[in-house]
Amino acid sequence: MGTGFDTYLLGAIVLLTVCSILTRCTYLLFGDRFPLSESVRSALRFAPVAALAAIVVPELFPLEGGSAVVFNPRALAALAAVLMFWRTRSTLSVILGGMVAFWLIDGLLGMVA
Amino acid sequence: MAGRLTHAQRRAFLFGLREATAALVAVATWGFVTGIAMVQSGLSESMATLMTLMVYAGSAQLTALPLIAAHAPLWLIFAAGTIVNMRFVIFGAALHPYFRHLSWRRRLVLGLLTGDIVFVLFMARFAGSRRIGTVQQLWYYLGIAAPGWLVWNVFSLLGIYAGGLIPASWSLDYAAVLALLAVIIPLVKSRPMVMCLIVASAVAWLAQALPLRLGLLAAVIAGVLAGVLGEMVERRRNSSPGAH
Repeated sequence: MGTGFDTYLLGAIVLLTVCSILTRCTYLLFGDRFPLSESVRSALRFAPVAALAAIVVPELFPLEGGSAVVFNPRALAALAAVLMFWRTRSTLSVILGGMVAFWLIDGLLGMVA
Repeated sequence: MAGRLTHAQRRAFLFGLREATAALVAVATWGFVTGIAMVQSGLSESMATLMTLMVYAGSAQLTALPLIAAHAPLWLIFAAGTIVNMRFVIFGAALHPYFRHLSWRRRLVLGLLTGDIVFVLFMARFAGSRRIGTVQQLWYYLGIAAPGWLVWNVFSLLGIYAGGLIPASWSLDYAAVLALLAVIIPLVKSRPMVMCLIVASAVAWLAQALPLRLGLLAAVIAGVLAGVLGEMVERRRNSSPGAH
């Protein structure tokens, strides 16, 4: 790694920092100049669920791999984790139960393959 | 500092903190996994530390890492980071009315501290409030945002410096996904929310092939629109004669 790479990396980090600040703070700082109607504001109530789903789904169902994708260990274990939540209502049981289910399913599929 | 807090401020802060405990597990896991990912992609420990403390945006960092490793041009890294972070603009628009009465310095700090979890929990608690801009809302927000910042960075640093101790076969990144899943499920209580979840998921799945993770933004917009549509359908059904 030469110094050239470090300058490049520093540049990338600084640019990403700028982009973090701009996206997070612009509206909070200058929002009075772009007032939103009540209906738009109430529509934004749906943003949290949509954003989280958008982060989680590609992790569970990656596009590559064709039809095998739906029945991958990650998606199956996630289903087990959701069922676990319905029974227990606890976050920890979702994470621990989901992990155990994942290890089991992954291990079983590994033995079959 | 703590001594100067009023009773109401402290109560709201602790209320936020209590509601955030489960979600903080998700923050910790993501932070840890992101720390590991930075070192694995070839960043030195000090550069990874700098990135964590300055950027404080896991999804943008994870998107940028392969681009940096491939030596992509800086403008592309900036564009990718901006698109992944674009949801924060939407979050900011939703949060602005609650904090518009504060000084710009305070709004800047609140903005810097925000994150997915903070926004999710805050809106779940206060989206339907009649009174907006209360002391309780500000300190509830801080009760999630400040611990969130701390937990993220501490666990990111742990991932950077001690991540090698965890065997890759444990698939810890999957625990991070599960933790987010645990945050989503309790939020989906109404039919419009179900619509929002289904459409956002479908778009997120189909749009994975889009460059620069544009799929993330597309899914958020589609999910919000689906939720609004679901709400309109529900309202019409409730107002039609014969509905119970």
